[in-house]
Amino acid sequence: MSPPARFKSGDVARFLNSIGPVFGLMLVVGLFSLSAEVRTHFFTGTNCKVILLQTVIVSIGALGMTLIIVSGGIDLSVGSAVALASVVGATALVNGHSAATAIALTVGVGAGIGLVNGLVIAGLRMMPFIVTLGMMGVARGTAKWLAGNKTVNAPKSSINNLMDMLDPLHFFPLPLGVWIAAVLAVIMAVVMQRTIFGRYLFAIGSNEATARLCGIRVGLMKIATYALAGAFFGVSGLMQMSRLAVGDPTVAIGLELDIIAAVVIGGASLNGGTGSISGSIIGALIMAVLKSGSQQMNWPNYVQEIIIGIVIILAVALDKFRQRKTAL
Amino acid sequence: MKSILNLLPLFVFLGLAGCGRQSEGGSATSEAKSYTIAVIPKGTTHEFWKSIHAGAVKAEQELNGKGIKTEIIWKGPLKEDDRDQQIQVVENFMSRRVSGLVLAPLDSQALVAPVENAIKAKVPVVIIDSDLKSDQYVSFVATDNYKGGQLAGERLGQLLGGKGNVILLRYAVGSASTEARESGFLDTLKTKFPSVKLISSDQYAGPTRETGYQASQNLLNRFGDQVNGIFCPCEPPTIAMAKALRDIGKAGGKVKMVGFDSGSQSVADLKNGDVQGLVVQNPILMGYLGVLTMVKNLQGGKVENRIDTGVVLATPENMEQPEIKELLYPPIAKYLKE
Repeated sequence: MSPPARFKSGDVARFLNSIGPVFGLMLVVGLFSLSAEVRTHFFTGTNCKVILLQTVIVSIGALGMTLIIVSGGIDLSVGSAVALASVVGATALVNGHSAATAIALTVGVGAGIGLVNGLVIAGLRMMPFIVTLGMMGVARGTAKWLAGNKTVNAPKSSINNLMDMLDPLHFFPLPLGVWIAAVLAVIMAVVMQRTIFGRYLFAIGSNEATARLCGIRVGLMKIATYALAGAFFGVSGLMQMSRLAVGDPTVAIGLELDIIAAVVIGGASLNGGTGSISGSIIGALIMAVLKSGSQQMNWPNYVQEIIIGIVIILAVALDKFRQRKTAL
Repeated sequence: MKSILNLLPLFVFLGLAGCGRQSEGGSATSEAKSYTIAVIPKGTTHEFWKSIHAGAVKAEQELNGKGIKTEIIWKGPLKEDDRDQQIQVVENFMSRRVSGLVLAPLDSQALVAPVENAIKAKVPVVIIDSDLKSDQYVSFVATDNYKGGQLAGERLGQLLGGKGNVILLRYAVGSASTEARESGFLDTLKTKFPSVKLISSDQYAGPTRETGYQASQNLLNRFGDQVNGIFCPCEPPTIAMAKALRDIGKAGGKVKMVGFDSGSQSVADLKNGDVQGLVVQNPILMGYLGVLTMVKNLQGGKVENRIDTGVVLATPENMEQPEIKELLYPPIAKYLKE
């Protein structure tokens, strides 16, 4: 969708766009509440908490991915970046560094990988798909190398508390990681909508040539975008390490696809120029609810995989349909 | 205005997130003593896990036959061997309030927190196959892997008549079960067959048949004309090494070989004489006892902290005996209709 031309219809279309994913989420929740047996377990504080906890890693990654996809790019190296970040963090702890240092390193590694991606993409004018595909291998390999081909058993530290369920029988208190994800999401939603940086992203994603002619420094913006997104992937890595209590170089294989799916289900277009933080978060929740619900329904894994695949295609198909309507 | 509209879904969601605080707690009460037991393997595609599944189903059938209503839910991680996915499966069963979990943990440390959360939520856990660094679970039902390695060491020592050059092709760094087998094997050689010489014990086969095959070829290129005996501590390297031996014409007993686990290819190799011994576990018994132990615990009975499901040595000579035959050709089809 090109930037809204008229005020009123633009607002309405935007509203429909953002309400679509919520509708999808309600539909999925409704689907699983049809079965009386599942319903009794599904709407419990414990289950809501478990679903939120399982969404944290994908949602924080989706924050970064939304920036990239809105700007018309893509990042396939997320899973590897998460694994490398978790290994670096765990290694720092093993070597006796403080939790604060480990956190800084973990986030820093993510940002560093993003920075390299951005520099290569902007500097050499290469396709993001190819650059990040290469980085996927580089980061994964580095993680395995650093970890000596095994998991790094980190000593207990305050990092482990981030994803601690605390009280497994009640909804509150929520794990710290859930709060962090929520706060980051609100900040990024404001950044996307209210700051020059955010608006430039949409401009670049809608039409890069025009954006350049308008005086936006596209290259610099891209570098900043990938680096900032990388920092979010680093935070995802931190959460992953907290959850596993080990640095695992083989973790999160294919995570980038889950994250891209969440962003796309949330209404973003891979052509760039559209997408929203709230949509992406809800996209991530839809997938988590599907996973949790399928298990509670006793569906085998393959059914679950097929359903999630269909949901992705349906979500994008619906989005196309909606856009065609609003374009008229 | 626009930005508020865009934030709206987030608020809607936060409202949704408050769902169901009212319906907590009550759902854990039992309805007429029926048990739902979730059995969680490390993966779902390997033969070994299918045997465990078969054993769990066997226990389910027997318990139901005795009038103890039991339902087994078999659920592996969505992605094979992915620690985070296995954690998610454990968490989801916790919130589903199953009566108990029977779990083969993918990692002895990573699964500790979710298992202890489940126990806190009054869902007891029996660990099978690989140990967990926790003392809160009900029981650990598994093979004594060290003993399995000892059996292999004795067999190979006898085959070689107490002298010769031996290769140990290890499996993977950090895999507790195979490391125990490897050390059982090495300790037995050292104490019982002091004149057997170990010419290589620092190579790793890696997780697949392909990586194992490459490692085997490399080893045989270097030591092929010196080696007299080989031990491989699990299924993929056993199959790969036998193949590599055939390639260079040293199979069939010229180089003695002892392997581990009863994959169908390994059993065929044992039958045609390329492998002289297979240490076999009893995965059906592991699945079976895992479920029975859980039910006994749920009924308030006392259970052992550690239950050994046994290992035996299968050789070309004893492989037709009925009790060995059942381990080499596990009757999976009897319990799993596929």
